[in-house]
Amino acid sequence: MSAKPTKTYGLLAEFDTAAAIMHAAIECRDAGFKKWDVYTPFPIHGMDDAMGVKKSLVGWFTFAGGFTGFFTGMGMIWFMNKFDYPLVVGGKPLFTPLYAFPVSYELTILMGSFGTLIGMFLLNRLPKLYNPLFKNERFKRATDDRFFVCIEAADPKFSQARETLEKAGAQVIETVED
Amino acid sequence: MNHAFLILKRWMALLACAGILSFAGSRIEAADEAAKTPAAETAATTAATPAAGDAGHAAANVPGHGHGGEAKHVSFAEQFGYSYLTAYMFCLSLCMGSLFLVIVHHLFDAGWSASIRRVTEQLSSLLFPWMLVLLIPILVLQKQIYPWLSLDPAQDHSLAVKVVLFNPTAFNLFLIALVGSWGAIAHSFRRWSLAQDKDGKVEWTRKSRVLAAAGIFYFAFSLTLGCFYLMKSLQHQFFSTMYGVYYFAGSVWTTLATVYVLIMVLSRPGMPLEKVVFKRQQQDVGVLFFAFTVFYAYIHFSQYFLIWNAAMPEETFWYVRREYGSWKWVGFTILFGHFFIPFLLMLNQDIKRKLFLMFPMAAWAWLMHYVDMTFNVMPVLHPEGLHVSILDPLLWFGMTGFLAVMFWRNFNSAAPYPLRDPRFAEAVTHHEIPAAGGAASHH
Repeated sequence: MSAKPTKTYGLLAEFDTAAAIMHAAIECRDAGFKKWDVYTPFPIHGMDDAMGVKKSLVGWFTFAGGFTGFFTGMGMIWFMNKFDYPLVVGGKPLFTPLYAFPVSYELTILMGSFGTLIGMFLLNRLPKLYNPLFKNERFKRATDDRFFVCIEAADPKFSQARETLEKAGAQVIETVED
Repeated sequence: MNHAFLILKRWMALLACAGILSFAGSRIEAADEAAKTPAAETAATTAATPAAGDAGHAAANVPGHGHGGEAKHVSFAEQFGYSYLTAYMFCLSLCMGSLFLVIVHHLFDAGWSASIRRVTEQLSSLLFPWMLVLLIPILVLQKQIYPWLSLDPAQDHSLAVKVVLFNPTAFNLFLIALVGSWGAIAHSFRRWSLAQDKDGKVEWTRKSRVLAAAGIFYFAFSLTLGCFYLMKSLQHQFFSTMYGVYYFAGSVWTTLATVYVLIMVLSRPGMPLEKVVFKRQQQDVGVLFFAFTVFYAYIHFSQYFLIWNAAMPEETFWYVRREYGSWKWVGFTILFGHFFIPFLLMLNQDIKRKLFLMFPMAAWAWLMHYVDMTFNVMPVLHPEGLHVSILDPLLWFGMTGFLAVMFWRNFNSAAPYPLRDPRFAEAVTHHEIPAAGGAASHH
């Protein structure tokens, strides 16, 4: 049906134990690949280090969100109570950070969590509606009992991919078409 | 026979210490009484005695009016008592904070902290005998330290309504019983842990868990009561149900800073904890330290905010006095130094493993907690503003130094970590993957 010329997306290697995939991840990391990922049915402790994944940047989004939230709260209350509609309540000053703090604090958390969520989506490049790996029959077992490494063709060292995966002891190595 | 002699020797040393401290205290007291001129005495009583009822509160609300206006004569015994109390509250923080960490370890049946638990066990064991012995000067100088002890409840409404707890008998008995019971709890945990080193039986852990479950309630209530007596009763008219948890939050904060430094130093090559403290313990103690930075701020802010918002004289006078003169700047130092700076500094995850930042941070925490204790204690003696006496650093360094020596002696008298704790393996086996980068993969 499709007359479109297919192009190689990457090389998919299958492993059957968590230990094997961990070992493979360390091999790939040390071989210096950049565009690759590991797919497992469950989280594996230490995989981040094994893959050499750097600390997530999500924290900075959280910080930016929290920072914005805090000053939004302060600014909002200052604007409302001191600037736009000055109103003395309980003999208190028109504005002081003191009573504005609880609201600012809540907004810090609210915007901080928004920042986290948005940051997570952006950094994961989500939402992503299509991934060539979904077409692969074997890959379905990634949610069941198999562990996969996929090195993308876009990786500058892609020519060494097969050799590295074989060395890592892959059970099956397949080319994935886009 | 030898053992009995050793115990006897220890008890005699203890009694001798108590005797010397008590004697020194009574000498100071006597000298002070002699030195006091009638005029100075009147001034001191006026400053220390707020009149009963609303009129008294109103007067107490105006700083410099009957408080700091005229410089009050401060006797040596008073200065000694207040400086001593500040140092004592600081040291009590470390003991109670570590007792809390031991309790929490057992309460949550924690694994990760098993390898560093002996440090907190030994720290909290300083409660007995040393914190009890060190309590003696406070008991001896109680009349110099606590103005309410010289007041007649019939003449002072705010004392009359609290007389059930605030009477000299209850004060003395409760303080001795509280510090004694904390010591007993701390020593039970330590004793059982040491017994387990020998026989490896799991019963010791189970017993500790039961004591922890009951102990956490006792800890909360008794620490609150202890704070009420030792620190809050300096201004007996004050109300704050958060006062105990406020002291607790600062205490655990300081203790975590201390534990952090201790475990990092004790795990250096050649030191006793070398093989049992890992990145995980370091990170987790750091995270708790950070968490308590926030918790302390939350509690102190809540106390201040509720009092500020309600604006009732019987509560506000406490902070009004602490916003007078240079005390205001001490307050700001606490706001920024106890919270904002540590919070922003330790916000980043990786900072908790950077010793060049965490060690100064821990020293800073000590200083800040001492400032916090000063902020609680000293405005009663020096309403006119911050006043640092030579006795402050002298007693602080003296007491912490003495306790440090005692800690080190205790620490070296037993195994440096719980050798046969059932959770010990969990603390030292960990999922550590060779770090990124070629060199690490050759392991």
